[in-house]
Amino acid sequence: MSSNNYWKGVEELEQTQEFVSSNANEFSEGLPLEKIFSNDDATRANRRDFLKYFGFGLGAVTLAACNKTPLKKAIPYIEKPDNVTPGVPLFYASGSVSNSEGFPVLVKVREGRPIKFEPNKEAAYFGGGLDGLGHSAILSLYDTNRLKGAMKAREHSPTEWKKFDKEVVIALKKTTASGKSIALITNGSTSLVTNQAIADFTAKYSNTEVVSYEPISYSGITRANNTSFGSAIIPAYNFENADVIVSFGADFLGTWISPIKFHSDYGSNRVPKDGKMSKHYQFESLMSLTGANADIRVPIKMSNVGQHLIALYRELGGATAHNGMETAGNTIKQAAEDLKAAKGKCLVVCGSNNEQDQILVNAINILLNNYGSTIDTTNYYKGQSADESSFESFTKKAKSGAYGAVITLDVNPTYSNDAAKAAFAKIPVRISTAITMDETSRNATHVATGLHPLESWNIQEPYKGRFILSQPTISPVFDGRAATTSLLAWAGADVSDKKELSHAYNYTKSVFINTIGGNFNAAIEKGVIENTSSVNVPSFNVTTEGIIETISSRKKTETELILYQKVGVRDGTYGNTPWAHEMPDPVSKVTWDNYLSVSMPDAKKNDWKNGDVLKVTTSTGSIEIPVLIQPGQSKGTYGIALGYGRVLPEEVKNDLKDLGKNVYPMVDMKSGNANYTIAGVTFEKVAGARLYEFGITQTHYSIEGRDIIREASLDAFRKDPKAGQHFHKPKPISLWHDHDYSKGHHWAMAIDLNSCTGCSACIVSCSIENNVPIVGRDEVRRRREMHWLRIDRYYSFEAPEAKELSVSIVYGGNQTVAKGEYMSQEKVMEAYSDNSENEDTAYDYYQNVKVAHQPMMCQHCDNAPCETVCPVLATTHSTEGLNQMTYNRCIGTKYCGNNCPYKVRRFNWFRYNENEKFDYHFSNDLGKMVINPDVTVRSRGVMEKCSFCVQRIQSAKLTAKRDNRKLGTDEFTVACAQTCPSNAIVFGDLNDKTSEISKLYKNERSYHVIEEIGTKPSVQYLTKIRNKQESINKNIH
Amino acid sequence: MYSADIRQPLVTGGKTYANVTEDICRPIENKPTKSWWTGFIIAIILLLVLVVSLSWTVWEGIGTWNVNKSVMWGWDITNFVFWVGIGHAGTLISAILLLFRQKWRMSINRSAEAMTIFAVFCAAIFPLFHMGRIWMMYWTLPLPNAFGSLWVNFHSPLLWDVFAISTYLSVSLVFWYIGLIPDIATIRDRATTKARKFWYGLFAMGWNGSAKSWGRYEIVALILAGISTPLVLSVHTIVSMDFATSVIPGWHTTIFPPYFVAGAIFSGFGMVLTLLLIVRQVMNYKDYITTEHLEAMTKVILLTGSIVGLAYITEFVIAAYSGYEYEQYAFANRMFGPYAWAYWTMMFCNLVAPQVFWSKWARTTPWFIFIISIIVNIGMWFERFVIIVTSLHRDFLPSSWVMYHASWVEVGIFLGTFGLFFTCFFLFAKFMPVINMAEIKTIIKDKE
Repeated sequence: MSSNNYWKGVEELEQTQEFVSSNANEFSEGLPLEKIFSNDDATRANRRDFLKYFGFGLGAVTLAACNKTPLKKAIPYIEKPDNVTPGVPLFYASGSVSNSEGFPVLVKVREGRPIKFEPNKEAAYFGGGLDGLGHSAILSLYDTNRLKGAMKAREHSPTEWKKFDKEVVIALKKTTASGKSIALITNGSTSLVTNQAIADFTAKYSNTEVVSYEPISYSGITRANNTSFGSAIIPAYNFENADVIVSFGADFLGTWISPIKFHSDYGSNRVPKDGKMSKHYQFESLMSLTGANADIRVPIKMSNVGQHLIALYRELGGATAHNGMETAGNTIKQAAEDLKAAKGKCLVVCGSNNEQDQILVNAINILLNNYGSTIDTTNYYKGQSADESSFESFTKKAKSGAYGAVITLDVNPTYSNDAAKAAFAKIPVRISTAITMDETSRNATHVATGLHPLESWNIQEPYKGRFILSQPTISPVFDGRAATTSLLAWAGADVSDKKELSHAYNYTKSVFINTIGGNFNAAIEKGVIENTSSVNVPSFNVTTEGIIETISSRKKTETELILYQKVGVRDGTYGNTPWAHEMPDPVSKVTWDNYLSVSMPDAKKNDWKNGDVLKVTTSTGSIEIPVLIQPGQSKGTYGIALGYGRVLPEEVKNDLKDLGKNVYPMVDMKSGNANYTIAGVTFEKVAGARLYEFGITQTHYSIEGRDIIREASLDAFRKDPKAGQHFHKPKPISLWHDHDYSKGHHWAMAIDLNSCTGCSACIVSCSIENNVPIVGRDEVRRRREMHWLRIDRYYSFEAPEAKELSVSIVYGGNQTVAKGEYMSQEKVMEAYSDNSENEDTAYDYYQNVKVAHQPMMCQHCDNAPCETVCPVLATTHSTEGLNQMTYNRCIGTKYCGNNCPYKVRRFNWFRYNENEKFDYHFSNDLGKMVINPDVTVRSRGVMEKCSFCVQRIQSAKLTAKRDNRKLGTDEFTVACAQTCPSNAIVFGDLNDKTSEISKLYKNERSYHVIEEIGTKPSVQYLTKIRNKQESINKNIH
Repeated sequence: MYSADIRQPLVTGGKTYANVTEDICRPIENKPTKSWWTGFIIAIILLLVLVVSLSWTVWEGIGTWNVNKSVMWGWDITNFVFWVGIGHAGTLISAILLLFRQKWRMSINRSAEAMTIFAVFCAAIFPLFHMGRIWMMYWTLPLPNAFGSLWVNFHSPLLWDVFAISTYLSVSLVFWYIGLIPDIATIRDRATTKARKFWYGLFAMGWNGSAKSWGRYEIVALILAGISTPLVLSVHTIVSMDFATSVIPGWHTTIFPPYFVAGAIFSGFGMVLTLLLIVRQVMNYKDYITTEHLEAMTKVILLTGSIVGLAYITEFVIAAYSGYEYEQYAFANRMFGPYAWAYWTMMFCNLVAPQVFWSKWARTTPWFIFIISIIVNIGMWFERFVIIVTSLHRDFLPSSWVMYHASWVEVGIFLGTFGLFFTCFFLFAKFMPVINMAEIKTIIKDKE
């Protein structure tokens, strides 16, 4: 018995059994351990959680203590605008302008800032897609070097608009009083608003002379149509109705007239349906994007186009034989046969800017009954129709001092016309309405800073009876004013806002009601209105004899220089949009620069190599420019792209500065129209010049006979839909279990190599959607472009004759090449050239090229080689088939990039944002406005790649979930597929059996690239079918 | 123990035990010589180049190198494999030769082990600094973390590398240090200054030279040798798996593990020879590092060089036989493509040059061995360059074929690692006995 005199209670005193047993325990009530260790109760922290919280707490406190967080202000809406929910984009139908051409868009607006153009599906006529330059135009909205407001010459600070207007009006009145004229230079505008404003202005100042001006002239067509049919127009071409297309140097998919529309029309007829597809002949000098897509491409000299037209005309029965013509006779004959068979359903176009050539083209199309089906002269094309005679007479009169003032309305002739500068110098008052300090504004006395298309109201009529309505999607970023408003202000109209509605709105509405009529708001919402007339067939009343006589008497040229446009930059108006410059040229794959494009035989003959700097001399001057050897280009022809050599404001310090050479001064204007094929050119190697290095994204041009792009002829495809697909390859055994996609979604993509033209619009669309940095020429030279999506381009060359070749045993040993066989291995081609007896013609076969394009992005492999090698699991597979990249987890070992067989992973070599060295748009507050807030801007040192636009997938899924419904079939799509003008890319859910992708996956043409290594990609390609005779195709094993 | 007269003595010059201690402690106890200073300063300058190049890399980004969208590993991983390879000879000499009771190893194992450790230091720089975000390098360790359930990827050969290299470094370091203890105690006992007494005393860990200590010492050495032996094979096997487990033609080859191990021993012995020939000359240790030693090592070079050469040829034959066009092209491209010069340099240095060691004269002429050892080092660097760069620069899709040339930063880092290596080595030669005194004393009367 204890000697204790005190007891805890009666229980102890009595030593009850309960007390004794509970006293033996350390804790009388027992610890709730089970509760802690069971996972049922998540509210309590177990030991591991405790350590986690503790660790996190400690880490967070430490980090918070030692890191001064940069202060960033997020200001909430005080009064939230209607319909604006932070994080939810709004889409407005509007219009933009690129290359003097209006096009309809849906503008994606986030929290009041336009961030991307998406195609307006209501505007199917215009193509339903966009091109790279069109996409890039959004960045010119956020250009820090835009003018900040009305400015007097060479003053760097804006003046008040009222004061400015007063001065302009005084100057204009003075001009009127002195009896001199006012020249109003405009781009043969398709804008109804501008035209009305000009009319109002002219009514006030009757001494106004309207001059129409376009940097690129199509006067050959307008004049020919004037002669042929009595109306100086460019007709509308409907490629979708054409079963046979014959083009003589017209790059209609790249740069000729209105390529976005042509793309979708052309593409719709290129996928074989019921064994039928269109057949495309291309006769051209330079290797154009269009030529790259032709079924049959014949290299000719541009100066020789007329001869070929005559030959075709003769074959079609329109003319008698002429002697001494140098033409691709057999192909012309073949083309004529095909054209005859497709009478009324074919199209002949020509890129020559010569009236006679174009009259002959009209005559051919008349013979073929194409007017009314593939050519529409009723609902004709209204854009780019300015005739250079208008500007020429202006310059002549200006030199004689006839003008007291000139107003340049959104045009920049000083850059693109050699005569402009001297003419302007003779005019005392020069008013420009540009939005940046361009070449014309720099020499202006007054700059009435205009507005970006996204800040303006407008009604455009690119095709007769087809209207695009533009609404502003952002209030003016700077203190600019619409050019039309300025004109009206100077004409004395009251341009102040009425009832909180801007003058521009009221004016546009009144123009709408007066010219089109109807519900303005409904029209604005839709963005496009169609009011077309039924098509009339014009009557052709020209005798072609004389024309044929003149054409056939043209002098033959040994060498000719062709001034062309590049797909990315076009006429150079938007020379300050870095996206367009970083987009590789679809054919040469050169970024940023222009160059002297030279054929392989000429380069070999003169011993020039890529990057040699040549002095090119024409009758109008000379420039020094580096050489680029272009397979497929005709012997004796040389090409330089227009649109370069812009003089940009001094503030521009990046690669846009001093970019390329301006060759507009070389355009031959002697015969009264702009001739882009220049004769009498000499080339001379600049002694001592350093080899110029291009920023070029693909340097190896041959496919090395590999099974990467599968193709077949239409004939073979008709017989066997799996033509081109018969490979005997071992089925790889997988060590991994297949992923289970039976539940939920399974995302996949299909790319039709038949409709893909390689236009590269998808590259720019992807870059904008995913905040892909622009890295500049120097980084591209180091082969570090960041594009998530690239388009691979391969050449193969037709052997003109059969040969026995000795090839090294390690490269496959001796081979026989048959006549007409396409060679696609570097070593075989080398051996073929070496085997030639005649050195002069040893490289001639480089002109006869077959081109294949292949968009390549992350293949989202089921057995992804990148996933297994990442040491930190930064790249993983999702349950929906996506190969995901977790930027935050990436430590940048780059092993995944090495192990990717498709080489689609891109590494952030530098910090591309907030970095002066990469001053494109990621480094200034205004440029950053274009960043897509749904996508992380990647930091330095992490890997990135195509995500299948996971932000779009997520957003669509969440929207469906919120609406409490299943995600609809093809309810959304990814950025590349969305913008593709020819619908070559299809994205969707394989688990949805009604989706387009599910159907495409069953297509006989479908295959995976290098599937034999067992990566099981989620991107499927569809065999390229060429509409030509089966050639010997030994290179497919 | 009796040994026949025909056998050559392992230490020449009739050294006594006292001579050994005197000879080997001399550089430690005396002021450094002029040649030591010259070498050390050059090494320090190179080390500064390393510091500058690495700082620039971390400051600006990996973009300061010329690696690109297709060749994402260039000189960095080439150098990594090069240095790891060099690090192989030390352990091989001290562990495997210990187990095989090759007594000639005793005069060279100390410096070979030191070389191993310094080479692994140099090697470790590359996988660390080739990371885009080196500050996140600890994510490669399976540490409990505050990032949720994030864990490392045990599928990734890079993770295996982390384990392999860190294990190898720690075992080598312990082995080397254990071996140093009796010698450090000797220096402690001879110390004339307080500082020397303190520091050597600290690192001698109370070594008292008792029979018990020696008994335990020998057992620990044997155990560590046992642990190290598989490491000699495993480290380079795992390094080779960085390549072998990938899908890239030219990398995806099952022959890699043995081929890499042989190459590593080859390059390791090349580097050991280079260093020993310098030490032997500069420190006048010709009696300890005799031509017998040199000859034994040249024989290893001859053997491993031939194995490596055989591997090159096997690899090529298998590629040709595979019927797999990508593999065939990768090897054709190595031989005749734009980097053919690197391939043929490799072939000459590694396969052809060591064959001179069939000649006794070549095996026993130090200046000639020195030249060949340098050639072997160059050849083995090119082997790694050829494997890494020529495979990556032209892989599956010709559209992504590129060329790659190192930038000055990459060259600077590579030169700089030699600075680090030699700085460590010179400090080692100054402060630690380059030859294992305790062990060499057991064999001064022995013959081969």
